[in-house]
Amino acid sequence: MTEVVTAENPLLEGLRMRKPPEPFALSIFGASGDLTQRKLLPALYALALRRLLPERFGIVGVSRTEMSTEEFRERMRQAVVEHGRDEFRTDVWEALAESLSYVAADFGMEGGEEPLIACLDELDETRGTAGNRVYYLAVPPKAFAPIVTALGRRRSAKGWTRLIVEKPFGHDLTSARELNDLVHAYFQEDEIFRIDHYLGKETVQNMLVLRFANGIFEPIWNRQFVDHVQITVAESLGIESRAGFYEEAGAIRDVVQNHLLQLVALTAMEPPIDFEAEAVRNEKVKVLRALHTPGAKHVVRGQYGPGFIEGEEVVGYREEAGVTADSQTETYVAAKIWVDNWRWADTPFYIRTGKRLPRRETTIAIQFKRAPHPPFAVDSEGGLRPNVLLIHIQPDEGVSLAVGAKVPGQGLSIRTVHMDFLYGGAFRLGLPEAYERLILDCLNGDATLFTRADEVEEQWALVDAMVAPWRRDRPHFPNHAAGTWGPHAADELLHRDGRSWRRH
Amino acid sequence: MVPLMPATTVRELERELAQLRDASTEPGAAPRLRTSVMTHIAWVPERWVEAATGTLAGLAERHPSRTILLFPRPEDDSDALEGEVDYRCFVRGGEEREVCSEVISLRLCGARASAPASVVMPFLVSDLPVFLRWRGPLPFGAPELEQLAGVADRLVVDSGEWPEPRADLASLPSLFDRIAVSDIAWARTLPWRAAVAELWPDVREASAVRVAAPESVALLLGAWLETRLGRKVRLDHEPAGEIELVEVDGREARPTRIEPKTSSDLLSDQLELFGRDRIYEEAVRSFSSEPT
Ligand SMILES: NC(=O)c1ccc[n+]([C@@H]2O[C@H](COP(=O)([O-])OP(=O)(O)OC[C@H]3O[C@@H](n4cnc5c(N)ncnc54)[C@H](OP(=O)(O)O)[C@@H]3O)[C@@H](O)[C@H]2O)c1
Repeated sequence: MTEVVTAENPLLEGLRMRKPPEPFALSIFGASGDLTQRKLLPALYALALRRLLPERFGIVGVSRTEMSTEEFRERMRQAVVEHGRDEFRTDVWEALAESLSYVAADFGMEGGEEPLIACLDELDETRGTAGNRVYYLAVPPKAFAPIVTALGRRRSAKGWTRLIVEKPFGHDLTSARELNDLVHAYFQEDEIFRIDHYLGKETVQNMLVLRFANGIFEPIWNRQFVDHVQITVAESLGIESRAGFYEEAGAIRDVVQNHLLQLVALTAMEPPIDFEAEAVRNEKVKVLRALHTPGAKHVVRGQYGPGFIEGEEVVGYREEAGVTADSQTETYVAAKIWVDNWRWADTPFYIRTGKRLPRRETTIAIQFKRAPHPPFAVDSEGGLRPNVLLIHIQPDEGVSLAVGAKVPGQGLSIRTVHMDFLYGGAFRLGLPEAYERLILDCLNGDATLFTRADEVEEQWALVDAMVAPWRRDRPHFPNHAAGTWGPHAADELLHRDGRSWRRH
Repeated sequence: MVPLMPATTVRELERELAQLRDASTEPGAAPRLRTSVMTHIAWVPERWVEAATGTLAGLAERHPSRTILLFPRPEDDSDALEGEVDYRCFVRGGEEREVCSEVISLRLCGARASAPASVVMPFLVSDLPVFLRWRGPLPFGAPELEQLAGVADRLVVDSGEWPEPRADLASLPSLFDRIAVSDIAWARTLPWRAAVAELWPDVREASAVRVAAPESVALLLGAWLETRLGRKVRLDHEPAGEIELVEVDGREARPTRIEPKTSSDLLSDQLELFGRDRIYEEAVRSFSSEPT
């Protein structure tokens, strides 16, 4: 995935420099919103600081709110100061700010796109952006259609065009297909970059490297050696101020449809021919197609009631601001799913996600089968657990391996020892934020870490099948206390198979 | 009182841990290997702080782990969480490899002191057993004990630290089905129990045991003898600071070898046990069945 420039400039040969992206004009729709402030501008600043942006580029903030370019720059400066991961350097900021402009535009109105088109044409003149366009849709889904249509009709005659679409991509299979049809009416699939920011995390990429660059894992990465897989995406936070969105989406659309199924795909996929976008995505989509729809009794939904988080009392979901008092929205989902293929037959993948769980944690745990006949005394049994390879994605990033080892001292007492390689994760200054990586990849035209149309549709097809039985019965919510690992039924799901969730 | 960072959050502490870990790695080098075998939680009310920190010093080398020291301060007005993290690396004798351990100290003020489980859960090392060392008497039925017993796999107490050992031993079996229990006072009796066993078969019909030792030790030895032999054995207890004498029907038990173990060693031994101690449980159960 790293490109080395050698062809045009012989002096660069051997320098192993990453090719800077070509000049571009980036339009951010939803520039007055939260995502732009918290993630996008800080990411662009981090790229600028590391000199990863080309010499010639322009960034245009677009939303309906009236403000001047000066005001926009000031807001963005504050955003970078507050949310950036690096030290704030005035010189870097000033160079970046110079490329920033703001256009107030309402694409919902006839001809609403004119001011933006004019601004972009001007950038081609003044900043040499060469007709290359990136459009970032950081707006609510209901705002997509007029924007996509207008942009599609007014494509730049020169250069390339790329469209970045934020999640959620639809709310079921039908709407996702409609959305795909809409964008495909004006854009080629290789111009469309659907964001799943989980895929931008280092560890997810490390997962590919771990699996396919190390000879020792691949031979045992299958039903013969793996007992089962557990994937957890746990949040200790509640829904913060996102009640409006969350009441509609619930845990299944917010997390299962995208992040969790992507993690399943990355864990279960066959080795791709290379690390190019099409090869990787072809393999992922094969896994998604092979996912067996879990029956109603293999899907558990939950909703948190009042409880304790970090020693403080917190309210239940139904008491959160903006949530109805009898809300049926699930804040927790667990499921047992099967990947119906040669490699994984009979190896269950247990997945779970929720809000207000005891800790923030995203992990993939590969539980290997027990050693067939350990020739050791019985008393080591309690201390010896099956081998587990744990892939940490959040808050730490890294991998741990649990192995049986002898306790120092007399006798042959054996216990499980954890060996961790942790990178410090989200908190490590050296690790890029997911959005930096994703924006840079898009500027370079590399879609490996973005979700393809067929993947999205497969994901929705599965989710639709999972929620279909939900319409028939009313759940008894809330069914677990905040700060606990979900409803009792989720434990049953594994106990029935003689297994249990990792306790922590 | 241990000085800690005022009013912090779990996230802030996680961040610091990650930064400490980072700082201990050369830039560009592969991340440091962290080895751990467990999470060790210690519940340390104010008056036990000194003893607890002393014990900890000798522990890390034998048990690379993450230690979470909980200092409850229920009488505080604020409900703050105060905390600090520390990363300590030791070079293992003769080996190039370093062993690193993390120590997280948390002071739970006000209402937080009765909701400790939700504070420690974010810090438990994935998938490894959790040991809970409870300093001082156990507050049976109190939320802090109930909650932490739900989180830990093994509870380590020292009944020698209890002002009223008989009453507390009588309550202890209520925990047995939920968590494996180790008692450091019981561990101290091991060489003496072995010595009494040497007196077999002469003590088969024993009717009295004289013990010069701290009260809980004497109680445990008496109960052990009764439950093992399945007959009533009268206990004559003479208070003493440590175990000085065990005499069964006038026959003195002489331990062959008594290594004086440090408090770190005694705790370390308990941290290597996993299953329930059936013999201990039976002995302790006799206190609740017996009319007092
Ligand atoms: N925030 C996050 O962490 C996050 C994470 C993942 C995905 N996302 C996705 O990113 C998108 C934006 O999220 P956000 O959190 O930034 O939302 P937000 O803070 O509510 O901002 C929404 C932005 O969209 C604009 N907008 C709203 N309605 C519009 C309409 N009908 N036509 C055109 N523009 C409209 C708003 O600007 P004006 O009102 O000024 O036009 C505003 O700039 C959403 O699709 C969300 O699901 C956000």
